[in-house]
Amino acid sequence: MSSDPSFQRFMLFGRRAEGAAGRPAGRDARIDMVRGLALLIIFINHMPGNVVSAYMPNNFGFSDAADVFVLLAGVSATLAYGGLIETRGFAVAALKLGARLWTLYIAHMAVFILVCGVIAVAVTRTQNPLYIEAINIQPFFRDTVDALIGALTLTYQPSYLDILPLYIVLLALFPPIYYGVRFSPALTLACSLLVWQAALAFELNLPNSGGVWFFNPFAWQVIFTLGVILGRTVQLGIAAPRLRWLDALAVAFLLFAWLVKIPAGNPTGIAALNDWFDSVQLGSDKTNLAWSRLLHLGALTWLAISWLPASGRLTRSALGRALACSGRNSLHVFCVGIVLAVTGQIVLAETSFALDVQLLLCAGGITMLTGLGIFLSWYRSITSREQRAGPAAASGAPVQRPSFSPR
Amino acid sequence: MQPFRPLIPAARRALQETGRLIIVALGSSTTAGSGASAEDKSYPFVLQSELRRRLPGAEVRVLNKGVGGQSAYDMLRRMDNDVIDEKPSVVIWQTVINDAIRDIGEDKLAKILRKGIAKARAAGIDTILMDLPWLPREGRYPHFDEYRAVLARTAEQQGVSLFPRYAMMRGWARSKQFTEQELVGMDGLHLVDAGYRCLASRLADGIVAAVGDVPIQIIGRPASLGE
Repeated sequence: MSSDPSFQRFMLFGRRAEGAAGRPAGRDARIDMVRGLALLIIFINHMPGNVVSAYMPNNFGFSDAADVFVLLAGVSATLAYGGLIETRGFAVAALKLGARLWTLYIAHMAVFILVCGVIAVAVTRTQNPLYIEAINIQPFFRDTVDALIGALTLTYQPSYLDILPLYIVLLALFPPIYYGVRFSPALTLACSLLVWQAALAFELNLPNSGGVWFFNPFAWQVIFTLGVILGRTVQLGIAAPRLRWLDALAVAFLLFAWLVKIPAGNPTGIAALNDWFDSVQLGSDKTNLAWSRLLHLGALTWLAISWLPASGRLTRSALGRALACSGRNSLHVFCVGIVLAVTGQIVLAETSFALDVQLLLCAGGITMLTGLGIFLSWYRSITSREQRAGPAAASGAPVQRPSFSPR
Repeated sequence: MQPFRPLIPAARRALQETGRLIIVALGSSTTAGSGASAEDKSYPFVLQSELRRRLPGAEVRVLNKGVGGQSAYDMLRRMDNDVIDEKPSVVIWQTVINDAIRDIGEDKLAKILRKGIAKARAAGIDTILMDLPWLPREGRYPHFDEYRAVLARTAEQQGVSLFPRYAMMRGWARSKQFTEQELVGMDGLHLVDAGYRCLASRLADGIVAAVGDVPIQIIGRPASLGE
């Protein structure tokens, strides 16, 4: 695909071209910034029916914030745990990863309980049973024992509580994927695509009460794997080759997606395409991933790598830095975002979706989430300064902070 | 309110030829049994007992394929596995409530409903659509009426029956046969058993009225053993 020998060498053998000096991998502010943005978009989209959500990217293309989020999760996991594997060895990295998985699991449980509580209060206070329906929390109220066991084993996931379980599974799969990418990115990607297509053919997915996981891990590991490959290029300091034709192709694909999503129905009038138009307009397959989603995400990623400068004006602007703060504290921001969004759904309904309330909720939520990110970054900066002043100031090279940053 | 008399020729045919009536209840919380005190208080379960009682000699099964929180599109996507593979003669599709809550777009909803009905029809399955529930405070969802209208219009255009749940519930509320909480409320979490029982009875009334005159072919075994 690429005419750049060093990039080709990387894709095939996972190594830099001999003699080619990679630049040391500094923290890439773009990753945090884009992840912060994705978190805010997820928050807005989790209050369906609000006017702002009609302007979110999923209305103009095939992929959405979830795809970006999983991709960047792969990138950050590589920078954090891949970096640890390289500097400290597998055992230390595996312990760190285990601790991280545990934190994610506990965070998921906490959000689950909080959301159940919010809904229970809302339903008993307002006598509107539809709040139960809105996030499929009814198994918890009908058969609490069953639901509790299901929640603990990740086999009962109410709506919106399905992303963290996916992330837990993907992160647990990180070591094999990382070693695979270290050996050969191209081969690993081929295996990953094969697993996805096999899962589609054999209808493989993990069980969820009354169905299957909303985010099929057998499918979504493809995006995570892409993220790991991307992270590996950052880790090795391999620059993506400049390919104007690919830029043009990516832009063309994004335009194509936009043109297909906007109209209602099939504007081409070709009857054979009716079903395809319906399938992308009614909703690209999110559970099992769709090629259209993957290509769309690929196009976006390529353009971001090529055209969004690592230390450009955007990433250094106040907005960019605020978003990056949210992105750096993504687990906290994500969890709080879920609880806020579910609460927001109830407020929206109780106020009959009044426009001013909708706008206020969106603005307020975004402010709170960004503020939380900034606060946590500040909090970490003052606590780490104390650490440095203390006697145990022994520090090696600072390790990249992992995605859903651990303690 | 007109009596509910669904058009279910496939069910008539199946009863006549095999003595079997298989119904899939496809839906979200109402079907799954949100608020019911137990699994056997959900409407599909009660419907099954009612139909077995009223159609002696027939082998009746009502399969509950309700998943809370699902939109019409979510259900369209599981139609192959959850409906068509079960080879029923009737599907009772309870939907649109989550689409109304999320305001997914009326045209989009109509298209999804049409696709679902067409899919069932192509498999030789009769569809009964279930109207939205009556809510004590509809103002919470400003487009509730519009989405209800889409449902009614699509049912009419496609020539499928619409079970008048909304009118029925409103009637109950007005007649004071039930308190509001018994119908839709949830102060203690299990208050809607009565509502589900009535829903199922009225559905059974309609289905029996539509197929009751069919001479039922008893195959092999006495009906009382049922299933």
